[in-house]
Amino acid sequence: MLAQRTYDLRADLQSRGVIFAYSGYVTDDILSGVGGALRREMASQDAARRTIRSVFTVFVEQMQNVIRYSDERLDTGGETLSYGILAISRESDAYVVHSGNVVSAPEVAPLREKLESLRGMDAASLKAAYKMRLRDGETTAGGGAGIGLIEIARRSTTPVGFDFLKMEDGRTFFAIEARIGGDA
Amino acid sequence: MTSMPDDIRRPAGPRTPAVDFLFSEGALRLEGESYPEDVTTLYGSVLAAVDDWLATEPPKARLDVALSYFNSSSAKALMMLLERLDAAAGRGTAVEVVWFFDAEDEGMEELGEEFGEDLEHAAFRLEPVPAAT
Repeated sequence: MLAQRTYDLRADLQSRGVIFAYSGYVTDDILSGVGGALRREMASQDAARRTIRSVFTVFVEQMQNVIRYSDERLDTGGETLSYGILAISRESDAYVVHSGNVVSAPEVAPLREKLESLRGMDAASLKAAYKMRLRDGETTAGGGAGIGLIEIARRSTTPVGFDFLKMEDGRTFFAIEARIGGDA
Repeated sequence: MTSMPDDIRRPAGPRTPAVDFLFSEGALRLEGESYPEDVTTLYGSVLAAVDDWLATEPPKARLDVALSYFNSSSAKALMMLLERLDAAAGRGTAVEVVWFFDAEDEGMEELGEEFGEDLEHAAFRLEPVPAAT
């Protein structure tokens, strides 16, 4: 039974093309451990350096967004853990990096607005937006202010997908996915 | 009034680059990968020391950026460092920034171009490093 249940979970993930999945509390240590394994695996599959770099970049930005913005948090004496789910799948020649986390109600509208505006931008306007974000103000802690999302959009071969789901408890679940490589 | 800050020598960590800022020699170097979630811890004190040093109006400054990967928050910190050096160059310090990149990594080369094109006073150079085999 136990083996069957675990095997079914694995088979279900594999049938969706998932090569890697993590669901749980995320920390910077988990990020670098898993990120290292991801890079080694992609290198062993002879993925192009540029593809490996882009997948890793999107992976890092998505994980750090979960760490910063997940509204499911656990305080463990000094360190705050953030809950999220992250998966990487293969779809023919492309890698798809997905992540999801609960977001607080006031975050939903600004997040949707940011992502919608990014979807309408071409490479040149994404570059301009990136540079503008790099230079505006001296915000450092939690630095981003959207620069992470711009980075994800720049690395993505197709417009970044995103969605919101109203959860049973009234909160909102946010999902984002970026596709890298392939024929686009 | 303005005094030379101590040199900074920090080894690389799992998500942080090696920082060798030898103010006494005017030679600054960042090497490795930079993707801490909280960049303030790493770069806050480094930028403060750079401010102190630039206030002494050093005759020359060279920054080697030899990063193989950095996240978006580190990019912001890096831009803040470049802006400071560029401003110092405008005040008379001879500033040279050298951006090293893996010859097979056109992504880091493009980032170097993007960071370099905004410098108004500092000299900027891209330097390919042959890929490790």
